Amino acid sequence: MLDLPAQLTVDYTKCTGCRICELACSAKKEGLFNPALARLKIVRYDDLGMDIPNVCGPCDEAPCVDICPVYAMRRDPLSRMTYLDEDKCILCKSCAGVCVNGVIKLDTSRMRIIKCDHCGGDPECAKACPTGAIQYGSISQSTIRGRHGKMIHYLKEIERTALAEQTDGEK
Amino acid sequence: MQVGGYAGKILRVNLTDSSFHVEPLPSEWVREYVGGDGFAARMLFSELKPRIDPLGEDNKLIIATGPVTGTLWPMSGRTVFVSKAPLTGIWGESHVGGFLGPELKYAGYDLLVVEGRSDEPVYISIEDSDLELMKAAELWGLKTNEATAAIKGRHSDPDTQVAAIGPAGERLVRFASVIVNNARAAGRTGMGAVLGSKKVKAIAVRGHKALEVSDHDEFVRLAKAAHKRVRENGQAREMHKWGTWILTSVKQTIGELPTYNHRTGVFDGWEKLSGEYIRPRYTISDRACFGCSLGCKKVNYVREGPYAGTFGEGPEYEGLMSFGSLLGIADFPTALKANQLCNGLGLDMISTGATIAFAIEAFENGAIDESIADGMKLEWGNSEQALRLLEMIAKKEGIGKLLAEGSRAAAKSIGHGSDKYAIHVKGLEMSGQDGRTHRSIGLSHATAARGADHLRSLVTVDQLGYQEVAAKRWGRDKLPEIVDPYTEKYKAAAVVETENVYCIRDSMIVCWYSVSWPPIFWLDDFAQVLPVVTGVDSLGSTDELHKIAERQVTLKRLFNAREGIDRKDDRLPTRFTEEPMPEGPGRGQRVNLEPMLNDYYKLRGWNLKNGLPTDETLQRLSLEWTRTGVRRE
Ligand code: SF4
Ligand code: SF4
Ligand code: SF4
Ligand code: SF4
Repeated sequence: MLDLPAQLTVDYTKCTGCRICELACSAKKEGLFNPALARLKIVRYDDLGMDIPNVCGPCDEAPCVDICPVYAMRRDPLSRMTYLDEDKCILCKSCAGVCVNGVIKLDTSRMRIIKCDHCGGDPECAKACPTGAIQYGSISQSTIRGRHGKMIHYLKEIERTALAEQTDGEK
Repeated sequence: MQVGGYAGKILRVNLTDSSFHVEPLPSEWVREYVGGDGFAARMLFSELKPRIDPLGEDNKLIIATGPVTGTLWPMSGRTVFVSKAPLTGIWGESHVGGFLGPELKYAGYDLLVVEGRSDEPVYISIEDSDLELMKAAELWGLKTNEATAAIKGRHSDPDTQVAAIGPAGERLVRFASVIVNNARAAGRTGMGAVLGSKKVKAIAVRGHKALEVSDHDEFVRLAKAAHKRVRENGQAREMHKWGTWILTSVKQTIGELPTYNHRTGVFDGWEKLSGEYIRPRYTISDRACFGCSLGCKKVNYVREGPYAGTFGEGPEYEGLMSFGSLLGIADFPTALKANQLCNGLGLDMISTGATIAFAIEAFENGAIDESIADGMKLEWGNSEQALRLLEMIAKKEGIGKLLAEGSRAAAKSIGHGSDKYAIHVKGLEMSGQDGRTHRSIGLSHATAARGADHLRSLVTVDQLGYQEVAAKRWGRDKLPEIVDPYTEKYKAAAVVETENVYCIRDSMIVCWYSVSWPPIFWLDDFAQVLPVVTGVDSLGSTDELHKIAERQVTLKRLFNAREGIDRKDDRLPTRFTEEPMPEGPGRGQRVNLEPMLNDYYKLRGWNLKNGLPTDETLQRLSLEWTRTGVRRE
């Protein structure tokens, strides 16, 4: 049997929104502490009490690769990881706009595109994450779907009681 | 400034003339005060005139961060709000978790100082060097979560961190809070009322700059090792699972769970307020503040019953206690609802619960009657009534108007001996501990700069019986008394050393839970990391850090002394000194404060007669300049 390629996988039911991963990424890649330069992004929903890590998947279809006019963004056929060839990049920022996870960023101080490279197979963010919400390995789609279902269920539940509350109020 | 870790700048907002000023952070402050609380103490003392009105134009609100804020050091997302406190009229401070402090530093500022007063409601918008006062008339009156959502929507950036006040702050309730991102509260001493008096609805901060430490590689190595310690610490893991509710059963076991306005330390309904009961029934997710690998925050949801649909992060142990055992209510949904209301309206949950407890006991003893209580028969264990009183306080309606001044002031206007039931020190309602079953906290409550405080010098080593740690920290000769919760002996030594370490913690700034129990972090860990962050070698000496801490404690004391505080105010409510604990393991215990106070003053170098710092102490701590009260021009 063929080994599945390793990827960054996330489990948002475990994520606490601590953003240690963002700090670890910027510390490793930039030698600085600046989440704005991290190659991944935690989106915190304080109103829902939920935190969603966004990492470079990569996607089944990688729009960042498709959109790049000068073929600077490419995909490794084996690992399926997308990576940027900085020398070719013309800074058109199309990839940043099209990334489904919003993890391609523009470093405005040094004017360059920054993007996750899986730390060459040893991802700092996954090692730093205290809860196991980010892991590195081959993904099993089924577990991800299972968790997704749980979250949807919980959101529906909130909606249901919110609606019930509203109707109570109108009575 | 060439020192690592800091942004290097102070941002001032003057509301009176709508101007912003950026100044360099004085580099000598780093050596003398480290950051956070220390910087704020230095600034507040020299910039406020004595005896000003906390709700007047002359008061200032300082939001301070420290050298590790926004870095990879564990639990470094904390921020402190400092001002002359509306509730107490003395030194006021309130620490808050979340993401505000790191964002302020990414925007390029170590401190934000809010001065003057606006005529119109505004909010302060900070995005790197884009600084603006925005009109906020349409936000005035909104709950904190509504105002936060509106501001985030306007900036269309989810990473904009928002600190907002609610209707309680607008109406100048003396214990109004500032709420950061919906759920994190700078609750104590009335910081929300300070912003309300200045007509500031909110502060919105977004930053994109980088922070650099002095020795990056060594710092990352230390920070990773520190995170590993947190992740592997047994108690930290328990705290992650149960949140601060883990304390309910600990407190009940030692007979220190404040019940019926601190009359007793044992509560029949405690189990329903314990982590083991709450988590499986109500908790839906775990969250953390910035950079924290412990993650004690719990998001909860009530599925059924009268408060079905209530949803939100919190409450902490203190909130659970103040709307639980303190009021005789054994019901988590009530506490969650109270937490949601307090956060939305912008009220400090501890003072709100405690002020309601005061009213109930005063009613029970005839000092308040139904005509004052708007026709209500105030009673223990009545959830609906407690929540109604909460809302009346926020609206300053009926009896709520009286209670909105705090329990000390309310007792003063009610009279009839009701001051016995106002459980406070220096005007600050007491947190969820009891000196009768834990002598050192009695001394902490009596001496802390902001009043009955559980965060500045609470010793856990004695209470939890860590003999070896106690021997190492304070000397084997002080065993066994120093770990005996029922004796006064040596307690000042434990309180002073602990208070010093917490001063450094609050200057860096890191969370309480990074020092709360051994063996996570203590002063030697801070001494190891501070020079690596800052490049300032003197911060690597624990002796020097003790001296910096002493300087900070003494400076806050001098601030209070200028407002008329001295030994006579370092007292405890008679409940703890005269009424013996009626039941439980600590039955018959009470606090003999005076000998502990004498020891404390001696160790601090303060005069035994009046509790004020002596000339030699001022000289030793390089605080002679306070004699003339230098002010900035
Ligand atoms: S960079 Fe964005 S669009 Fe491209 S593969 Fe990664 S997640 Fe997909
Ligand atoms: S794998 Fe490396 S580059 Fe990618 S987000 Fe994680 S730390 Fe950053
Ligand atoms: S480090 Fe892990 S738990 Fe923390 S924000 Fe990142 S993914 Fe979430
Ligand atoms: S321990 Fe709790 S309060 Fe402290 S930083 Fe972590 S999540 Fe925040």
